Amino acid sequence: MAGTTWLSMLSSALDELVERVLPGLVVVHGRRFEVGAGIIFRADGLILTNNHVAGHRRLAVSLHNGREYEARLLARDPEVDLALMKIGAHDLPVLPLTRTQPRVGQMALAFGHPWGQRDMLSSGIVSALTTAQTHNGRQIPILRSDVPLAPGNSGGPLVNALGEVMGLNAMIVGGDQSISIPAEIMREFAEKALSELEPHSEPRRIIPETVI
Amino acid sequence: MSNAFEDLSNAMAGAVEKAGKSTVLVDARRRFPASGIAYTADLILTADHVVERDEDIKIILFDGKQISATVAGRDPGSDLALLRLEQAAVTPAEVSKEPARVGQFALALGRPSDEGIQASLGVVSAIGGPVRLQRGGLLERYIRTDTIPYPGFSGGPLVAADGSLLGLNTSGLAHGAALTIPAELAWRTAEMLAKHGHIKRGYLGLRSQSVEIPEAGQKALKREQAMGLLIVGVESGSPAEKGGLMVGDILVGFGDSRVLDHDALFAHLTGDVIGKSVSIEVLRGGKPHTINLIVDEREAVSGEGFTPPFGGHHRHRGPKGRGRR
Repeated sequence: MAGTTWLSMLSSALDELVERVLPGLVVVHGRRFEVGAGIIFRADGLILTNNHVAGHRRLAVSLHNGREYEARLLARDPEVDLALMKIGAHDLPVLPLTRTQPRVGQMALAFGHPWGQRDMLSSGIVSALTTAQTHNGRQIPILRSDVPLAPGNSGGPLVNALGEVMGLNAMIVGGDQSISIPAEIMREFAEKALSELEPHSEPRRIIPETVI
Repeated sequence: MSNAFEDLSNAMAGAVEKAGKSTVLVDARRRFPASGIAYTADLILTADHVVERDEDIKIILFDGKQISATVAGRDPGSDLALLRLEQAAVTPAEVSKEPARVGQFALALGRPSDEGIQASLGVVSAIGGPVRLQRGGLLERYIRTDTIPYPGFSGGPLVAADGSLLGLNTSGLAHGAALTIPAELAWRTAEMLAKHGHIKRGYLGLRSQSVEIPEAGQKALKREQAMGLLIVGVESGSPAEKGGLMVGDILVGFGDSRVLDHDALFAHLTGDVIGKSVSIEVLRGGKPHTINLIVDEREAVSGEGFTPPFGGHHRHRGPKGRGRR
């Protein structure tokens, strides 16, 4: 296959991926400033972001289409730096979390708003799969990449070549060591938070009304 | 349905997986561990500056297995060291058939922790050389990339998109900046280290400085050659003295090639010329002369202790422990 053909195929594959991911990326605002990014986790308005991004008193979320919503904080966990928020919108485009184990070397794309610039993309690879100890002494898996991140990328997704979320960008260490919270931890956090918030989410038993 | 970006992603992960099998952890210094490349089933090539001790060297393989190693040879001049494993246990790295090209994808790999392989993606940014190194070596060629040199990546491989070896990464040669020694050169040094334990270099026993050759001198040479090496000192008992080189001679040729500067002369003084008769062309009193002499072996810079990569006390010892070349 001619090199130029393959390069243009690569380029259009990237275009297509970006078009697919961007609608699921949101801006999270604090009271005065834009503080970071987030992703649409569920079509009925559930947003996942970093705990340190959601740590403001009044929170608002702007969607890719420009609409702005007040956000309600549903759950937060400083240990894994994750927070779940709810906005009053529905039929939103969800960013799916991957169920595939990440591999060192695979391509990784970070979406976010570094230094307040909207919808920026940076690319690299997964550079290491390591663990980190939380302040509670728990060992959690960590995804490291060589994707350049900056303040404003926090809470934004790190996606794989399929556009699935591999992790949530959480920390910038020394400029060139980017750290993301892996999808499995995000899923675990969200499921736990939802089971506590929605104890009746299992189908309720219907008791037929009896007419006396 | 797979697309081109997915193919690229899989290829990169595949290259890391393949090359990662020949990438080991080298624990031979006080600080964090570094990396190494399997040269043969029982020999590991790494950067010399990460090997601070000769004993109690620990190697961790891709499958987590730990093996002890000893120093088989080292060449501080080119910042390469060869370690021998207690037992044959590794898959040797596959050297790329094509030399590195500017613009091609390159992955820098390292194994500085027992948590697994680490990698950074970039492109080959430049290919340069020859360059004189601080500790007396000469690097014919080097590769620069825009990959991120994470801590502990020294001694690890730079690989192409097919996982084949392009070179060995080190931050010990250029004042801490990352640089890659091309695989071909690294392998050549490894071969000599496996055979002799050190790199043989030729020794003439003269000190010189670059000078311009006046037009009359160039006429006498019957060629255009703007520069040569003015001999400012000859070690007693050295090949240069025995051959009859004198202070004031301007060295202009070695064998059939012209010598314009120190690097050119240095490049000729490889291990192969030791013990052989070579012809040296000089200008003496404005007239060309040919002098035949037998090249000696320069005493190896021994690998005892640890010489800081840019500590300032670089020794270039001849047979008598002093002088250069």
